Parts: sequence; C-alpha cells; structure tokens
Amino acid sequence: MQHEAVVDLLDGRSAVARPGRGAPYANYVLETAYDEMFAADGTVRAHYAALNARLVTLAPEELHRRQQACELSFLHQGITFTVYSDKQATERIIPTDLLPRIVTAAEWTHIEAGLIQRIQALNHFLRDIYGDGRVLKDGVIPRSMIYGSRHYRREMRGVQVPHGAYVNVCGTDLVRREDGAFVVLEDNLRVPSGVSYMLANRDVVRRAFPNLFRSMGVRPIEHYPRELLAALRALTPFQADASIAVLTPGVFNAAFFEHAFLARQMGVELVEGRDLLVNDNVVYTRTTSGLKRIDVIYRRIDDDFIDPLIFREDSALGVPGLFNAYRAGNVVIANALGTGVADDKAVYAYVPRLIRYYLSEEPILDNVETFLCREPKSLSHVLANLDKLVVKAVGESGGYGMLIGPHAGKAEREEFAEKLKADPENYIAQPTIQLSTAPTFVDDGVEARHVDLRPFILHGEETVIVPGALTRVALKRGSLVVNSSQGGGSKDTWVLSS
Amino acid sequence: MLSRVAESMYWMSRYLERAEHTSRLIAVKLESMIEQSREDADSSWMRVVAALSAQERTPAAPDAFAITQGLAFDRLNPSSLLSSLSNARDNARQVREQLSMEVWENLNRLYLRLQPMTMDGIWVHHPAHPFREALQDLHTLGGVIYSTLSHGEGWYFLELGRHIERAQLVSRLLDLHFGAAKSIVAEAPKYFDWLVLLKFCSAFEPYCKAYTAAIVPEKIAEFLLFDAEFPHSVRFSVDRVCDALLHVAPAAPPLRRAVVERLAGRLKASVDFTQIEDLMKGSIAPFLDDISQQCEQIHDTVYTSYIAYGAETVL
Repeated sequence: MQHEAVVDLLDGRSAVARPGRGAPYANYVLETAYDEMFAADGTVRAHYAALNARLVTLAPEELHRRQQACELSFLHQGITFTVYSDKQATERIIPTDLLPRIVTAAEWTHIEAGLIQRIQALNHFLRDIYGDGRVLKDGVIPRSMIYGSRHYRREMRGVQVPHGAYVNVCGTDLVRREDGAFVVLEDNLRVPSGVSYMLANRDVVRRAFPNLFRSMGVRPIEHYPRELLAALRALTPFQADASIAVLTPGVFNAAFFEHAFLARQMGVELVEGRDLLVNDNVVYTRTTSGLKRIDVIYRRIDDDFIDPLIFREDSALGVPGLFNAYRAGNVVIANALGTGVADDKAVYAYVPRLIRYYLSEEPILDNVETFLCREPKSLSHVLANLDKLVVKAVGESGGYGMLIGPHAGKAEREEFAEKLKADPENYIAQPTIQLSTAPTFVDDGVEARHVDLRPFILHGEETVIVPGALTRVALKRGSLVVNSSQGGGSKDTWVLSS
Repeated sequence: MLSRVAESMYWMSRYLERAEHTSRLIAVKLESMIEQSREDADSSWMRVVAALSAQERTPAAPDAFAITQGLAFDRLNPSSLLSSLSNARDNARQVREQLSMEVWENLNRLYLRLQPMTMDGIWVHHPAHPFREALQDLHTLGGVIYSTLSHGEGWYFLELGRHIERAQLVSRLLDLHFGAAKSIVAEAPKYFDWLVLLKFCSAFEPYCKAYTAAIVPEKIAEFLLFDAEFPHSVRFSVDRVCDALLHVAPAAPPLRRAVVERLAGRLKASVDFTQIEDLMKGSIAPFLDDISQQCEQIHDTVYTSYIAYGAETVL
C-alpha cells in the first residue's frame, strides 16, 4: 500500500492521505486521532470492508442522490429546527450523514457492560445523597461539592422513588481516545435528547443502503419506544393500566419533534404544562370529556421549570402543585428531580471512585483522565503541565473560567497558575482529546470527520440498552465540536451482531 | 382526548377547508376570466375577494395579478391560501403524535411546495395551474385523512371543523349572489356568474344531474342550500356537524352535552324545514345570516363545553 504524506492545511501538521485509493477518498486525511475505518497503516478495518466495497463502486453522483434522499426525507417528516432572523423564520433540517458509523459486536459488549455499571453506580449515589449520605460520611466525595451544587434539590430529601431509580433515561457521551479505547466524556442524567435522531437516521440510511444493511447483520433498534414504555410502566404498580404522558415545553422547543415522536411511537399522550392541573395532590389532564388522572410523566422539561410553586416561579411551562403530588407519591416523574447534581464536572471526576465504592468493581469504561486540583498530587502535576492541559472551573460552564493550555501564552498560564494555587478546589484539568474520526460524505467525496457516540440507557426495574446510539459528527474539517448548534450533524450507528 | 388536542384538530381542519375553498375560487376565477368581458370579470373578481376576506372590504382596483397575489401568497393576509396552509400545518405540528405519518407528510409537502412560489413564477403560463394542483393535493389529503386516521373522537373534531367552516363559506358565497352582501358588487350576477358560482362549489356537474343544465338561480340556491346528498351544500355540512357532535366528548357530563346538542338540533331544523320558495319570496339574507350565526354559536359552545371549560366546574 502506497502512503503519501501531505500537509494538512488547517494546522500544518503532517498527515497521511490515500489518493491512490481513488475517487471517494481523495480528500480523506488521517491525523493523529483514531480513525473508525482506516487503521494507522491505511488498511481498511475488517468491519468497514463491506461498506468500503460498496462505496468504491458507487459514482459520486449516486452517493449525492442518496444523500439528498436522506435530507428530503427529514424535511418531509418535519425533523427540523427553526432559525429566526429579522422577519423570517427559516426551517432547517438537522444535518444527517449518509454513511453509517460501525461498531463491532465486541466493542458494543464492552460499552454496554460499562454503561450498565456506570448507571447503577450513579443511581446508588443519587439514592445515597438524597437519603443517608453514607458516601459523604465516609469522605469519598466532599460534602461541599454536593450541598453546594446548584443542581442539588433539597426538596428531594427523603422522597421515595420507584425501584430507587432516579435516572430512568440516560444519554452518555462517549469518545474514542487516540489509543482506540472508548471513554466517557459526559453523563447526561437530566433530560437527554437525540434518541429520535438515532431512529430517524436508521430509517433513512437503511433505505439508502438496503443490501449492505441486510448483509452486515446490523442489530435492530426500532424497539426503543417499546422499551421506554416498558421502563415507564414499571415505575407504577398499575403497570398496563398506567396512564402515561410525555410532558413537553411545547412546539417551539428545539426537541419538540422528538417529544411528539416518542409519544406517538409509545402510543401515549403528549401534554404541555397547560394541559395538566393538580387537585388534592393528584395530577389530571384536561380532556374533552372531563379530567383524567395521570400516573407517570416522562418529562422533557428541566427541574427549574417543572413547578412554579417550588422552583422558578416565572415558569409558564410547568404545573403548579406538581412537585407536591410527586412527593405524595401520586405521580411518578421520570427522570426524578435533582439528578443534575450527579452529572456536573466535578462529580464526573469522582464517578470511577463511586463505582468502586458502591459496586466494589473496577470501572469498565474509563473517564477522560481528569485531575482534581483539590488533591495536592494532582495540583502539582497540573501546575507542571499547564501547557498541555485544559483547566476548567468546576462551577462554570460555557467556556468561562477556563484555560486551554496549548493555546495560552506564558503570561496567561502564569496568571492562571496563581488562581489555581489560591483556590485549587474550584478547578479540574483534562488533557485535550482528539475525538476519533469516521468516514463522512462531504462535497461529493468521503472525508474523515470527528465523531462521538451517545448510547441511550433505560433504567427502571432493570437496565436496558438498545444496541445503537446517536453518533454526532463535526461536519467542519478539523472541528472537534459535534453540537448541532455549532455545525454538527448526526450519523446512523450500526452495531453488528457478530 | 386532550382538550388542547381537540382544539388543534378542529382548527387544522378549518384551515384546510379554507385553503381548499381559496384554491378552488382562485383556480375557477383564473380559468373563467378569459371568457368574460373586462367589466364582467372585474365584478366577478370583486365577489371572489369579498368571499375570501374576513372584513367587508372591496379591493381598490380589480387587478387580477394583485388580487391573486393577495389571496394566494400574501402572508400578511390572514386568510390567504398560504396563511391558511401555514396555520393548518402549525396546528398539525401541535398534534403531530395524533396524526398518521401520511397525513403529516402530505400536508407538509404541500406547504413546502407552495411556500417558495411567486406570482412572477406562475403568472406567465397557466396561472390557474398551481391552484388546481393545490386543490388536487388537498383532495388527496382529505382521502389520506379518511383512510389512515382512526374514525374516533379526533376524526370527528376534524369533521366538525371542516363542515362548520364549509357551511359558513358556502353561506357567504350565496349571500354575495342572493343576499344582503350582493350589494357589495354593483353589477347583478349574469348568466355566466351563476355558472361560476356552481363551479366555486364544485357543483356544476352535480347540479346538472339534479336539475338539468338549465341555469335557474332559484334552483341553484335550492341546490347549494338544501340538497341532502351534495357534499358542498349547507344542509350536507349541517348534517355532518350534527353527526360529529354526537361523537365528540363521549364521556362528557350529560348536561354539557345537552347544551351543544340542542344547538345542533336547532340548526338542523332550520335547514330541514325551510323551503326555497318561501325564501325567494321574501329575503334570503336573514336566513343566511341566521345559519352563519348558529354556526358561530355552536363553535362557542363547543369551546365552553369541551375545550376551555373551567376546572372548578368538574372538580
């Protein structure tokens, strides 16, 4: 196999391209990141061989046509978000990529085990900090970190949640390190979204590559809504008779399509706050025939907005009195309130220890290496390596109070070092991570783009993970930002059965 | 069924009916204007504008291009074809989970196809063509609704919305040709206008079958008001409204249902027991006005009984 070094125009680093491979891969640039399709020596990984064989036989126009068919399908289904400018409201589709991202059976088995372990530990942890607080008494995690968190809900102290399951739906963001290992970047324990895109992507990509799909033994994911319904039902003693509703902020919410989609697929009511009312601690919907009791609410509204009597009083999305009905045990809310305390930056760093503490097991999936500056050993390491690390203030988000070591000047680093020494408890540090790259259809060719992986975990009486995930992709060359608000798109994810 | 959902189903259907009516009037008018003298075409355009406008207003100048633009594509005109479709689609999105994939996609495609159209783009060749196509798509959508949705409560709210709207739109057209509003257009309707009136209601061929091709205004009024079988007659719509009201809110308290059903019964009696001869002898205007007001009352009562009732009244 011929290799040729070319210079990546973006960052000047040398990289390897494979012009010899021909048309679709002419602009495929391998960098230091792990590539899902090509090994470092440029050979195609075995589980991508069939896709490769298909791609090299398809003319660019044909790929282009299939890509357009995918996009048109999204447009017709109304899988769009609205961009508001001066006068006009323009609807755009969430970009979807034609090429599936493929995960082997062995990789999936490992991921699945790791995710199950993780959600169990996190649920133990939430039960503990809203209950006895054993983990705090034992000094595994500092009290101040929990009680000082904006997302800790004192109102939840002593509330019994069914099966002790606080997080019923979880979307965990995984990335692949340069060494090929999947690591956890973030746990989304509040109202994770994106599962409708996982299903919508599958629908269009399977139609784009029907034969390939059939021949590769891709595991099905279409039963997700049924599994979700079963998980929600398991939260009440009424089971099959339970009256379940999806609570949405409304049609202007960016994820409204998903809320309506899930309600339709589960065959349950989609409600807004204004459809619900609470009387005598019982929740009802207003129907044409009168009031109807609701037993389980799958809420897609943040804690802050769910009940103006308890949380933000300016919330027009919520339902006055809902929290008291919840405390009284007359309605189940999934996810439980107050789960946000377990997915912030500082607690994230403790998850491996929480796994050891609650389960007496070693973590199956690593975290991204994280240094807690409150620990003297870590602090000295961080101070010595400021030029290689990203340092983040624990309580901040959105890039505030952050130092990106490799991009910062010497003076800036020294100034930041002083801040660190003055208040080490407030900081964590992580190495910069190169997300893995995967083949993506761009400008009528196939190029490498950075991706992450968000599987969805359902946890009620038991834990179920549908074998699939949302793969988010940074469509801009070299970009590591996969968020749809910043030029990210999504891909179908094929988990192979063998 | 959630009250909010019922409300959106009802309005989606009303807006679709309005869009269908608007498309048909524009298409028929554009097709027929070439056969009319300038003056006749002008007064006929005025009738179309009056039939499709919320307010009692007549256009400054009967300019076919400007009128079509305003009635079809003007977003600022709340009753334009595009506004109606956009409102129907917004309501459909609200109740997306209640609709079949096919209903949503057909409606969405139609909107996405019409939304970028411009007058300049359609005016040169066959200006009526896009409106005929829209009409065709709306008929298809009607069929898709009929055959892919369960005929349960939601479907009956669609029926209710469609036929309350239709009864009022047809009454309005009759009013512009026979009733008080005919004074809006100075010229009295001529032979050709009667033909166009029938076509406005998709009624030309069915009318001929019932009364032969002899164009007699009184017979046209009778057909469009009282024919029991023709789907664009007032009577047909009233029957559908009454039927829909029997099926919505099945478990509502009897007292609240009774209020609605009494109004429906009264409306039905009005169209069942009135004879065209009596109307043509006196004035048809008060009758048409009464029909329209009874529809309004039914609308209001459906709201107070099933949609916007106070929670305290049921606890």
